[in-house]
Amino acid sequence: MSKTPTMYVERFSVFQRFIHLLIIISFLTLAVTGMALKFAMEGWAALIADWSGGFAVLGALHRFCAVITFFYFFLTMILLYTTWKDSGKSLFGFIFDPEGLVPNLTDLKEMIGTFKWFFGGERPYYGRWIYWEKFDFMAVFWGIAVIGSSGLALWFPVQFSKYFPGYWLNIATIIHSDEALLAAGFIFTIHFYNTHLRPEKFPLDPVIFVGSISVAELKHERPREYDQLVASGELEKIVTRRAPTVWLQRMATVFGIFVVTTGSVLVVSIIITMFRYIQGGH
Amino acid sequence: MSHKDALVSRAGTSLCILLVTLTLGVGSAFALTDEDCLGCHGDKAMTTQKDGETISLYLDADTFKQTVHAGNGCVSCHVEADVKGDEHPFPMTPVDCTGCHEEIGKTYEKSAHGVAMAKGDKFAPKCQDCHSKHDILKPTDPRSTTYPLTIPFTCGRCHQEGSAMTATHELNKHNITQNYSMSVHGKGLFESGLIVTAVCSSCHTAHDVQKASVPTSSVNRDNIIHTCNQCHVGIVDKFNKSVHSPLVTKTDKKLPVCIDCHTDHSIAQVHAKDFRLIIAKQCGNCHEHYSETYLETYHGRASMLKGGERTAKCSDCHGSHDIMPAQAPTSTINTANIVKTCSTCHPNANLSFTTYLTHATHNDKDKYPYLFYTFWAMTGLLLGTFSFFGLHTILWVPRSLIERLKAMTRGH
Repeated sequence: MSKTPTMYVERFSVFQRFIHLLIIISFLTLAVTGMALKFAMEGWAALIADWSGGFAVLGALHRFCAVITFFYFFLTMILLYTTWKDSGKSLFGFIFDPEGLVPNLTDLKEMIGTFKWFFGGERPYYGRWIYWEKFDFMAVFWGIAVIGSSGLALWFPVQFSKYFPGYWLNIATIIHSDEALLAAGFIFTIHFYNTHLRPEKFPLDPVIFVGSISVAELKHERPREYDQLVASGELEKIVTRRAPTVWLQRMATVFGIFVVTTGSVLVVSIIITMFRYIQGGH
Repeated sequence: MSHKDALVSRAGTSLCILLVTLTLGVGSAFALTDEDCLGCHGDKAMTTQKDGETISLYLDADTFKQTVHAGNGCVSCHVEADVKGDEHPFPMTPVDCTGCHEEIGKTYEKSAHGVAMAKGDKFAPKCQDCHSKHDILKPTDPRSTTYPLTIPFTCGRCHQEGSAMTATHELNKHNITQNYSMSVHGKGLFESGLIVTAVCSSCHTAHDVQKASVPTSSVNRDNIIHTCNQCHVGIVDKFNKSVHSPLVTKTDKKLPVCIDCHTDHSIAQVHAKDFRLIIAKQCGNCHEHYSETYLETYHGRASMLKGGERTAKCSDCHGSHDIMPAQAPTSTINTANIVKTCSTCHPNANLSFTTYLTHATHNDKDKYPYLFYTFWAMTGLLLGTFSFFGLHTILWVPRSLIERLKAMTRGH
């Protein structure tokens, strides 16, 4: 439209994108292999087991991806540590940074504002992290703590029972599998919708793979962050004419759509199964 | 061969007449020799008409000489043929084997086949339907219709879907021959060539074949243990000491016998996948609650997937023939033995580990309150989270559509 070239800013660093890639690969595999066991009596679960080579293969993949999960948790800790060091803030100041990832009062106000926006009000003055994004981030921490600890107990049941009663393994099974149902169900419906499938973004928001977004998009999506970058003079320093390369965009599209489709198929299978159980009185 | 030649042939064999008469005691003053008979029946062209069909009346003497009845003259079975004249009565009454095989005849009369025969069932097998007519060989002869490798085919001529008999008779059990072929007995017979393996007659007997519902039947519930014990020696001794034995448990309820767990015609090798995958179902026929709750645990869930035969099945923990309830000192799941039992798969298992509930369900509030409340707490968390974000998402849809349309009209 105009002759001014499109300008871009980086939203996710290479390291952050790499961590998210690890999350995608491990989470999707964990969900598929785990749900096949949880819903073993279903035809779709049998198909997964048949394709993969049997439940022992599913178990091996599940444990391998558990290791990846602990690994990206560790990488995220490094990321947070270096970000904190670079910010020059106190630990408290970093954690409770108004523009940081920990939810605060502004998020509550924005959430109320968002509901008003749904019914025709003004679009809230969103910053770098919107409350549903913060929820996603915090949920992974909670999820790894709950699913990870119960999963380790189930992985090493004999060792676990040296310190805790053996029947706690039954409790761990329920917690592990239902928390995983929550996590998979949430990511494959709510996160997919919020980030990719809602009409504004459909079918995919590639920013987590390509890293950068246009300045115009930033200004529209996250006006507070844009205004802060302009006010501090930071925008001029980070803005670039370099768009994500075409091959990167293509790979992002193919991979992203594959993952979103796989997750959606799994969650639809689970939902159909759950409805059948509720109808059948299980 | 003409009738004249036959008469000449008769005259030359007076010694044989004497022999047959003495040996078999037919009691006839005059006796035909086999050569006399073959004078006519040695002709391949000799036929007759019956019900519009051409039936050969030829006998292959060379083959007959190799059969168990080679030493018997024709007229020892075909007694009516033993007449002085040139021609015997025709048609003759059917051969009666019970003249010699008296005991077997009595047994047969009382069998399902014999009773059906007495009722005039045209599909009821006569002796020759299983044993053939003139080609009767010892059961040890590979060419015999009662050779172990051949018996399934002999019985299968009728007891199989699509046989002529099934037009008027309902089969009590289905796919018997296919199931047998895939069973441990069938594979042993056909694949490994073990002619000592169980064939139809090993369990059902040869002549005393009875429906399983008949109390005296070899495959009746009350007799099957004895029947299996003919080959599986020693197991019945273990079984008699187990909780499933009527000698140990006095109850009005039905106690299991071999076939309740192992099945009958499709019986599989106990270590084979086919069998391991049905154990929970077999035990569940009586122990429904334990089978269902087992399937809710890891062992049960994994057992439903490919490769699931490897996870612990009922018998891996509880034992099989010598199974005893947990309170019995010899029980594999008694506190004194359970660590050892779990250690079979979980090395270094300890007593705390064995408190894992292998038949747990979160649906039983009184028995498993921890599981019940954990499940409902987790369910509450799921319902709460999905309710809020579900609503959030649904309300967002129309707004998001409007935003997209706005962006499109702006030309982005």
